[in-house]
Amino acid sequence: MAPGGLFGRALVVDIGDRDATGTRLELDDQVLRAYLGGVGLGTWLLHRLAPPRVDPLAPDAPLAFVFSSLVGTPLTTSAKFAVVAKSPLTGLLTDALASSQFAIAGKLTGHDAIVIRGRAAELSVLLIDGDGPRLEPAPELAGLSAAEAETQARQRFGRGWRTAAIGPAGERGVRYATISHDGRHAGRGGLGAVLGAKNIKAVLVKSATKVAVADQQGVLQAARDLRKRSFGPATAKYRELGTLANLLAFNAVSTLPTRNFTAATFEGAPKLAAEELHELRGVARNSCASCSIGCEHIYARKGGGSQRMEYENVFALGPLCGVDDPDDVFAASARCDELGIDTISAGGTIAWAMECAEKGLLDAPWLRFGDGAALLRALDEIGERRPGLGELLAHGSRRAAELVGHGSIDFAAQVKGLEMPGYEPRSLQSMALGLAVNARGADHNRSGAYEADLSGDVDRFAGGSAHVAAAVDTEDRAAVMDSMILCKFLRGVFEDPFTEWARLLALVTGWDLDADELHATARRIVRAKRAFNLREGATAADDTLPTRMLETPLELGSGRSAALSADRLRTMVSGYYVARGLDEQGRVEPADLADLLLDP
Amino acid sequence: MGAAKADLEWHGSTLLYRAAAVLARTVDGPVVVVAAPGQALPELPDGVTVVEDPVEGLGPMQGLAAGLAAVADRAETAFVCSTDLPFLHPAYVRRVLRALTGDYDVALPVARGFRQPLAAAYRTRIAGLVADLLAQGNQRPGMIFKHCAVLQLDDAALLDDALLAKLDPELDSVVNVNTPEEYTAARDREPPEIIVERFGALAKGGGHRPNPVRAATVGAAAQAVGLTLDRHIVAAVNGDQVTKDGRLPLVAGDSVAFLSADAGG
Repeated sequence: MAPGGLFGRALVVDIGDRDATGTRLELDDQVLRAYLGGVGLGTWLLHRLAPPRVDPLAPDAPLAFVFSSLVGTPLTTSAKFAVVAKSPLTGLLTDALASSQFAIAGKLTGHDAIVIRGRAAELSVLLIDGDGPRLEPAPELAGLSAAEAETQARQRFGRGWRTAAIGPAGERGVRYATISHDGRHAGRGGLGAVLGAKNIKAVLVKSATKVAVADQQGVLQAARDLRKRSFGPATAKYRELGTLANLLAFNAVSTLPTRNFTAATFEGAPKLAAEELHELRGVARNSCASCSIGCEHIYARKGGGSQRMEYENVFALGPLCGVDDPDDVFAASARCDELGIDTISAGGTIAWAMECAEKGLLDAPWLRFGDGAALLRALDEIGERRPGLGELLAHGSRRAAELVGHGSIDFAAQVKGLEMPGYEPRSLQSMALGLAVNARGADHNRSGAYEADLSGDVDRFAGGSAHVAAAVDTEDRAAVMDSMILCKFLRGVFEDPFTEWARLLALVTGWDLDADELHATARRIVRAKRAFNLREGATAADDTLPTRMLETPLELGSGRSAALSADRLRTMVSGYYVARGLDEQGRVEPADLADLLLDP
Repeated sequence: MGAAKADLEWHGSTLLYRAAAVLARTVDGPVVVVAAPGQALPELPDGVTVVEDPVEGLGPMQGLAAGLAAVADRAETAFVCSTDLPFLHPAYVRRVLRALTGDYDVALPVARGFRQPLAAAYRTRIAGLVADLLAQGNQRPGMIFKHCAVLQLDDAALLDDALLAKLDPELDSVVNVNTPEEYTAARDREPPEIIVERFGALAKGGGHRPNPVRAATVGAAAQAVGLTLDRHIVAAVNGDQVTKDGRLPLVAGDSVAFLSADAGG
């Protein structure tokens, strides 16, 4: 019998030219308890189902939608799922979380995960309900945005279906294309390109069953309590201004990456700040499915319409590209949504290209920092994979830099091929380590080590052992939250997180979990991700930062400078390996491999 | 004075805390306090280290020798000051350090009519020379200047620096306190004017816009805008270290940002 909240099985869908077949993969209690669900279980599934060294865009490469025991419960922020695959951007594991009714309907098809393999002969949609999977040709959806595709699919197949779709960039194989649903995105690592390579425009799921939790009354009580706490001060920032509140604060503390990481303060920041836009443009606030926080802030666009704005898309399409006109940034964000591309990678890749163009390394004299029209033109060229610049940039900054040469890789702001988020590593040195060692690449969601840097508890300009401990701790917390799955914006409401999470999971599943076991689970999940990457060819040399971050000091607003040398980073990385129980090359010790339950 | 100068109260901390914290926020290298043998010191800012004079009673020359020797392996130049400079400004420290170029061993301000050997910059390589002079019975810093290359900086030279001229036009940086009256007068001065900005959830009612207040410490600045530093609220002075330390001294021209400790995505 499966644990509460789970079915104990995954559906593996093999797509042929014109049809799809489903096979049950039994998931025993040991695996489910060891990996929980979400990102953890997705990692285990990739180990099991991805052929070693598979091309991420090949038919054999699996793409997994993974749910968890909490999905469908009344616990706030639990309507989330993970999408896990080998990334066409990094060649390593990538996982992205998203929130929508798709999570609940997908799980209630009767599966803890849905894994898709194969390739259709023509652009199609995949439908999954209680009767299993079926493939329907959908050439009429070609070139549509994900939102348009969702609308048309609902019209064609009727109510009750929940949709995850790709935009034109996913169809065309842009390596940082997203998968979208209800306006939310599984954004990082190019999952949209993986689905597009299977000729699948959209996946539709429909609820067909129910699943019981172990302690219904206990879960209801916990849900009421968590909901109440979600209205408290720990989430005020998200509620009142959203993540865009970071922008002006980060600018004030010299950690707002600007003009391709050549500066950490941006003179145009006040024009893009949530504090200003909220007064001048704020029109609405919204929540994900089953969420009581409501972090989504939607701003009016000049000339009509509105746009959801987050810190990361404003940072990447604003300061990082030197653009300070909010309407240009709004338009660029909307364009990314229409094309279905990750705003961070798009902005990071274009910022690199702007620097190349200004240095004469790219023949694109129109592409200049600060030019909003140029930013929009570059996005269009990428979305269309227009021969020349669009085709080049569709591969992301690392591959583009390898093609352009002339040392441009030194200032391609990426780790393992994934463009860097809006956290300047030279002035946030716990985060520097987090960015360097994370399995997904430069990532602010699987490592939130910036919390330590911004807490006042560590010297954020001088990384050392305290920063290593902070990076490990935050990675562990993310591993559990992303697997159980709860939104990280809730993290501040937990006084004793591992203990409280263990209690929540126990109420839902019936497992007699405790904090110690969840700590071990976190370590297992982090190790399993690393083991996958090692299998796919990653080495310790990948656990680093771009040369610019290690050789060029950063001028601070205070007049001092912040520097992060290669030696200092290497020392922190070595400390991280020790703390994680890895060998000196960052490899999982043989004795720990058995704990990963990877043997068939 | 009735108490060691290092222990004198200064806006919730001590004169020594202020001096050490001002230097710590100004220079990139280590900050070292030289104490008399067995001297109990008040609390110091994080990261500041203490070395002891090997011999008691030899005055500032001994402190200078011990201090320069303590940092010689980590820094080529050092700013040296006494603990009783309640208005020492980072712009003054930077101006003096910047002057120490070429073959000079010492950048010696001659400010407000007096040589200021305890508000000056030294090459750490002269640590041995100072120790030798001390061993020969020379206890006056003036002896050092007869044996090395000294660049003197008068008021005009110091105030050539536009920032220093703007923020410390009277060169109050070198004002020291030697009597209870001087201490009281210094303590009674109006705190410096600084700028406060609040961000994110702290910015209600336009708080993110620059707000001038008078405050001698980060804690006082927080209080001036209705905030209290705690695990949820942190501050950064001029975009530098993030801190929860309300005792951190402020100087004219500072800008203090208050933000939620949970900043980040």
